[in-house]
Amino acid sequence: MTRSRIKAWWVVAAFLSGLALAMWAEELILNWRDNRLEFSAPRVHFLTGKPLERLHKAAQVPFDFQITLWAGTRTQEFRKIPQRFVISYDLWDETYQVVKTLGGLKKISHLTAPQAEAWCLAQMPVDVSGLAANETFWARVDIRTQDGKLAPVFGRESITESGISLNSLIDLFSRPAQKEQPHWVLDSGPLTLDELKRSRRAF
Amino acid sequence: MVCAVHQRSVRMNKLFLVAVLLGAPLAGCNAADDSETTEEALNVNSRYRIESVHLVGQHGQLSHPLRTEINRLQGEKLDDSILKRLADRIKRELNAANVSVSVQKGTLPERVVVNFEVKSHQQPLDLKLAKFVYHSKQGWTGDGSASTMIGGNAVSFGLVSDADALVERFSGVRAKFERRNLWHDRLGLRFEFGSFHQQWDEATLAAASPSDIYRSRQFFMPEATLVLARPLELSFGVSFARYRPSLPAAKSGSANAVVTTLRYHQRWGSEQDEREQEALAEYSLRAATHLLDSDPIYTRHEVRARVGARRGKHKVEVGFLAGRIDGNAPLFDRFSLGNASTLRGWNKFELDPIGGSRVMHASIDYHFDHFTVFYDTGAVWDQPQHREQKQSVGAGFNFKKGFQLAVAFPLRAGAIEPIFYAGMNF
Repeated sequence: MTRSRIKAWWVVAAFLSGLALAMWAEELILNWRDNRLEFSAPRVHFLTGKPLERLHKAAQVPFDFQITLWAGTRTQEFRKIPQRFVISYDLWDETYQVVKTLGGLKKISHLTAPQAEAWCLAQMPVDVSGLAANETFWARVDIRTQDGKLAPVFGRESITESGISLNSLIDLFSRPAQKEQPHWVLDSGPLTLDELKRSRRAF
Repeated sequence: MVCAVHQRSVRMNKLFLVAVLLGAPLAGCNAADDSETTEEALNVNSRYRIESVHLVGQHGQLSHPLRTEINRLQGEKLDDSILKRLADRIKRELNAANVSVSVQKGTLPERVVVNFEVKSHQQPLDLKLAKFVYHSKQGWTGDGSASTMIGGNAVSFGLVSDADALVERFSGVRAKFERRNLWHDRLGLRFEFGSFHQQWDEATLAAASPSDIYRSRQFFMPEATLVLARPLELSFGVSFARYRPSLPAAKSGSANAVVTTLRYHQRWGSEQDEREQEALAEYSLRAATHLLDSDPIYTRHEVRARVGARRGKHKVEVGFLAGRIDGNAPLFDRFSLGNASTLRGWNKFELDPIGGSRVMHASIDYHFDHFTVFYDTGAVWDQPQHREQKQSVGAGFNFKKGFQLAVAFPLRAGAIEPIFYAGMNF
């Protein structure tokens, strides 16, 4: 009796540690809620390196995000959603401000770096109406910014020059990132909505 | 109906977004307000005021209007578009590789300090041709150097063979070590060394005392430059020169002097602008004294000035030179006119083959695009009764790559023989 209990605990411990390992290994986490996919990537930090250096010099740095879903096959695009966030670092308050610039100006301030990063992805839920529950799909989050050489001194001009339209952002992502351009690509899949609904937890 | 309202709302949102982010007011009358909204919306630091502005790593002079505009930032709210525009202008005026903006917390609450960080072109080896000219009476002159940066210090090594500047042709090597940005960029140090062999024109050998002729000379000059108040600078140092006379039995001589130069150099506008002006004025004093164990004892005063103004393709330059030597200066420190930049058209050996202790010269150049005409006048003399004003005129053509051709005529009675000049940077 005691031995069988120990065995059961071992199985549970192995399962939980495996689950934790899988969670840890996943960079991009998807959640299904009210027919929308929500994204998070707590292990991915884009407020680092040269963009962070520029932020600490009081520059405003634009970060361009694009979420792409492919359904059925990896070549069949189902949704593509771009967004631009302009982040600045308050020199005196030592916190971050993030401004979402597409689809209505939305601003939040007094954030820590991880909070600022998380807020960006939280503003980009994807409507999955029309995607069959058992249909296989893949998801990708593409994040790009500009290093000091590519960007103007403070980065504002890049917003005005690109016209901050959906089309210009899609154009931007249709070109491969330049060699020195800081960028992050997070992939997930193949998945189905059924799997997400069943688990109601992160993949 | 709901759908229509929603679409209108989306359209309005987009319009608002474009208006706000482009900073381009659709209504026109609220331009400043819209722009401010955009600034404050995008950069959280836009609410802070600028406490002070600094230029870091600056090598060169900014024009007066640009400096004034930079100074005006103090007390204003942080506006990155203005900072970017100024950084671009600084980059153009200083011909810098990059100018970046760095903003830090100020010493007062809610104040920030703006630093324009100027980065110069860092080439492993920078080759420079300071002068290269062919004079139809005096032959070739060339002065070139290679320089590099080692740990923030400029080190250069050059070869020169110059028959233009002095009454001697001096050929040899020059080396220079320079540190420009000490003590908040207000102090520079320079050490220069040169070693030359001399060649003399027959006219000079005939006119000079044999003991004044030397066959080689070396000099070493440590000098410091202090920025008093930009663009006013004061250079001071000492010059140790040693020369070996041509006479076999004569012993080497030393001309060791205290050297001081007060310089004002200001520019308004830049090459990219429609209008550009420049003013340079300097006074230099060289005093060779027994305190430095100098053989010849003399003081040499020199005043130079140049004013230039350009509007479009038209450019006028006026130059002035005056000098006086008290005492007995060696030939390399005496004044000479009749070269590629003074009394163009005259042969300096006709004017004064051993140079003079007094000089006065003025010139005016007019450039239209690549074409140039000029007029020079001046005199070099020792005794007042020998002072004789000379004049010359000429014309030239500047090619795009810096190559220049010119012909000049002395204005005098009798036969006029033109002198031709060809080369770069003369």
